[in-house]
Amino acid sequence: MDVKELETAVLQVQREAEDALGQVQDARALDEWRVRYLGKKSALSQVMRQMGTLPAEERPRAGEVVNRCRERLQAAWEAARTALSERLLAERLASERIDVTLPGRRQERGALHPSVRVIQEVEDIFLGMGFSIAEGPEVETDEYNFEKLNLPQDHPARDMQDTFYLTDTLLLRTHTSPMQVRTMERMRPQAPVKVIVPGRVYRRDEDDATHSHAFNQIEGLVVDEGIRMSDLKGVLEQFARAMFGPEQAVRLRPSFFPFTEPSAEVDVLCINCGGAGCRVCKETGWIEILGAGMVHPHVLDGAGYDSRRFNGFAFGMGVERIAMLKYGIEDIRHLYQNDLRLLRQFARPV
Amino acid sequence: MKLSYQWLCEYVDVRDISPEALADKLTSAGLEVEAVTPRNQGVRGVVVGQVLTCEPHPNADRLKVCTVDAGVGEALTIVCGAPNVRAGQKVPTALPGATLPGGRSIGKVKLRGVESNGMLCSAQEIGLEVKLLPKEQTEGLFLLPDDAPVGADVVTLLHLDDVVLEIGLTPNRSDCLSMRGLAYEVGALYDRPVRFPSPAEPAASGASPVRVTLETERCPRYDAQVITGLTPKPSPLWMQMRLLAMGVRPINLMVDVTNYVMLEWGQPLHAFDFGQVRGGHIVVRQARPGERLVTLDGQERELKEDTIVIADPERAIGIAGVMGGENSEVSAATRQVVIESAAFDAASVRRTGQRLGLRSEAQQRFEKGIDPVAIRAALLRAAELLCELGGGRREGGVVSVVRGQPSQPHTVAFSPARCNRLLGTDISAETMRGVFRRLGFTVEESSPDLWRIEVPTRRPDITLEADLAEEVARLVGYEAIPSTLPFGATTAGVRTPSQRLRKRTREVLTGMGMTEVFTYALTHPGSLDALRVGPDAPYRQMISLRMPMSEERSVLRTHLLPSLAQVAQYNLARDVAGGRVFEIARVYLPARLPLDEQPSERTQWAGLWFGVTEADVWNRPRAYDFYDAKGVVEGWLGAFGWLDQAEFRPASAPWLHPGRSAEVWLDGERIGSFGELHPETAAAFELDVAVYAEFDLDLLVPRLSDRWLVTPLPRHPASRRDLAVVVGRDVPADALLAAAREAAREGGENLLEDIRVFDVYTGSGVPEGMKSVAIRLTCRAQDRTLTDDEVDALVGRVLAAWTARFAAVLRG
Repeated sequence: MDVKELETAVLQVQREAEDALGQVQDARALDEWRVRYLGKKSALSQVMRQMGTLPAEERPRAGEVVNRCRERLQAAWEAARTALSERLLAERLASERIDVTLPGRRQERGALHPSVRVIQEVEDIFLGMGFSIAEGPEVETDEYNFEKLNLPQDHPARDMQDTFYLTDTLLLRTHTSPMQVRTMERMRPQAPVKVIVPGRVYRRDEDDATHSHAFNQIEGLVVDEGIRMSDLKGVLEQFARAMFGPEQAVRLRPSFFPFTEPSAEVDVLCINCGGAGCRVCKETGWIEILGAGMVHPHVLDGAGYDSRRFNGFAFGMGVERIAMLKYGIEDIRHLYQNDLRLLRQFARPV
Repeated sequence: MKLSYQWLCEYVDVRDISPEALADKLTSAGLEVEAVTPRNQGVRGVVVGQVLTCEPHPNADRLKVCTVDAGVGEALTIVCGAPNVRAGQKVPTALPGATLPGGRSIGKVKLRGVESNGMLCSAQEIGLEVKLLPKEQTEGLFLLPDDAPVGADVVTLLHLDDVVLEIGLTPNRSDCLSMRGLAYEVGALYDRPVRFPSPAEPAASGASPVRVTLETERCPRYDAQVITGLTPKPSPLWMQMRLLAMGVRPINLMVDVTNYVMLEWGQPLHAFDFGQVRGGHIVVRQARPGERLVTLDGQERELKEDTIVIADPERAIGIAGVMGGENSEVSAATRQVVIESAAFDAASVRRTGQRLGLRSEAQQRFEKGIDPVAIRAALLRAAELLCELGGGRREGGVVSVVRGQPSQPHTVAFSPARCNRLLGTDISAETMRGVFRRLGFTVEESSPDLWRIEVPTRRPDITLEADLAEEVARLVGYEAIPSTLPFGATTAGVRTPSQRLRKRTREVLTGMGMTEVFTYALTHPGSLDALRVGPDAPYRQMISLRMPMSEERSVLRTHLLPSLAQVAQYNLARDVAGGRVFEIARVYLPARLPLDEQPSERTQWAGLWFGVTEADVWNRPRAYDFYDAKGVVEGWLGAFGWLDQAEFRPASAPWLHPGRSAEVWLDGERIGSFGELHPETAAAFELDVAVYAEFDLDLLVPRLSDRWLVTPLPRHPASRRDLAVVVGRDVPADALLAAAREAAREGGENLLEDIRVFDVYTGSGVPEGMKSVAIRLTCRAQDRTLTDDEVDALVGRVLAAWTARFAAVLRG
């Protein structure tokens, strides 16, 4: 055998190998091909082994021919392997396709009750203004619910709040205001007193769309030297902006509560129309959200803060009213019926 | 309180201010106007007509054909169906082209062949307050007085051009329960003069036939005047119309005058038939035990000793300040009356009215306080009107009996600087002076910053400097108060541990899919029956309301389950397939009943899982079970760092399934329980399977931890061993774990890092009555990698403990 014959044999192998590679479809066939054409027992290896029979001067050239062929086949194999793995991956991805529009394994969140949402929101706003949160008994004494709030026995203003009595002296509190006195009595003589009081209250009212025999109130109280009615307005303005939006404004109107003097009803710009006038605000642009005033001197003195030295302001708001306004709930009873179709809407914002 | 705009204009001229603008002004001054209602509901073209002739209709039995002089030239032929139409009457006559309330227009029409040129009107047809009119005025035509001028517009005649303002008065403004008080208020608001005439004192006359004796301190003053020679008749039209505008029922002249003067002066008056006052002697005294009186409304009332009565020497003839007695009522036969104008103790009148369930106009005024100045003036005014309108004459003068000191205007010290400091304003002394002048208060300036303000007796609500400050702010306008922030010491606002515990509980529970509900604390006394608790159980100690509105809401709850069960029922009835809900609320536990002190109010969280999982079609719905609740309970305990110490023991709560419920204990304290409802409890609540949990949050407050501290991560690998052991079916898994932990501790160094059950199997291969429990042990040492021998030794000890205690057999 001479170089020429060897070269012919190599080309023959190469052609055969390349043809075979074209037929390879899968990883196993490709591996077999590699063993057959590039392995130790391959035709090319056998040709290599015959090189010893060639004259010495022809061997370099023969080696070159064989190596070139091997390199070529090696490269072809690598290319085929890459192509094959790409194809297999593509096939796998295609076969693994799922319908991503089907629902996931949801972990449904529950929801806070809307009244509680309002309470927490209000609490957070006043905590940020340095108020603490106090809570008190729902079964109150006549003394704290009325007398210490400047509402003596047989005072006509007691008609403002029809009361559930339990005994001659015990009742279900009609407002969170008893905690004004309890808080001052606990704190005295420290100042300032800055506290809000959320809690359930009770009135002897027939339940209807706007009345409930039980509802939630949030009381606020600030007592210190030099507290002014303008501070009341300023604090409520901050609250209104945090609660209802930065464009908010508050309006005070004269009113009467036995435990504040001067007293005020407090309006904010209508949450629904922003003040333009709509059905919610009866075209006035304003909605009443709380009652407030300067703590009555009798209440201050009775709770141990000398009214000649200390002043204070107090306010009280109805939680359900705010929840109804804020969440568009039309009937207060919806807040107590606990229809899950309504409550679950509070698991996520709109 | 209603306010007639026209009547008001008689005292203070606000004709240039519209009723709507007046309403806004009053509202912004604290007299909230709730409604502005024109009396004219759409009447136009209706005049006074006189029926000249009235003949039967030729073609209709029930119709009449009338000729009517309506002052429009020739008489009009009008067909009328009213049963009371008669010739000679003066009646409201709608001319062709007239309009009536409801947009109804009147034209010429043919009625059964007779042309009708207009309509004769009833009270309802011209929009009068028919509810306040006597029956005879509302059945058929509304009859006008004989002196009504033919052709006159009824709008003017009947004051239909008046506008009524409905004011929601706050209880402090008793002065505004009268035209007089409202006139002063409006005068002050607009700074306009008020002309409110005081009646003249008549010349001295002979002795009065009435004698008055005050036997109770609760009547500080009693004035009486006898009027004689009266004939019963209706009051004049103008008075009736004013009464109607103010919402008061016209009755007859004598009664109407007392009501009219009450509206004018705010002083309630009462007219007794003097002929019925035996001995001509009025005695004001406390009621006697068991005394009875039939009041004007025909009801027999039992009087309490607390009640003030007006009496003659023999019997009670009226309940002071509340209602007169039928035995002395002014009737058609009355020719002589005694008018009472008095002051009665406010609290006593209030209590009596409340007890009798009465709420008369007079009573409301006495309760809130009357103006002593008005007592005599109102009496003189009533006498004047009765003489002028009723043809009566005074018999003797006013008898006035006073007990104690007559009240005087009071003075209140006032500092303009302190007023500005309280309001946060910078209102000038000049402005403040003006405010007091407008209100009719007298200012005496002892020094620039110490004024003495004399307040008239009609404003008993003004007793303190703060009250005067409110008057200043009110008249200057609250909008003059600026917005400031308190400048005192800074404070930090933080939640208390109890508040943090509740807030985090809410976050954890909602995070695990629970929805919060809010239920009433007042409940039905029978709500506990479903809970299978005995009649002596502490839960039965429920505090009851004295006067509940319904049995459904008559006691304070001691247990939260009935409320949550009701939520479940409500939702299941509304096509909600199931739910998991919780509430954080109080239960009310009295130390003893009857209640003699405030009860303990304990805060709990309670949860209820009912029906099936709230599934979309995808995640197949399944009924909630014990382990849903336990998972949430464990998650909740874990969120507070309590799960590792928590012990779950079988529960014995009667409302829970004895084999499917657990109590949770922390360090020897029972903090709550949960489990499937007892089948009888579930059935009583009309529920299928439901799971209930309740925990006492007050007990847990001291355990609340806010410490967060890491333990270093392990530096050596753990070894895990999975073991399956066969034990009796009743061996609790927890007992196996506890025994293993104990065995691990006995080895000195505790190498057991974690142990948990990962499977429980019964069935083929496991003997009857047994179960196979698969448990994973995680072993680790902090300072080295454990050798197999060390782990084997630990596992051996654990197995030995299980075998010894539970006869456990390792499964191959």
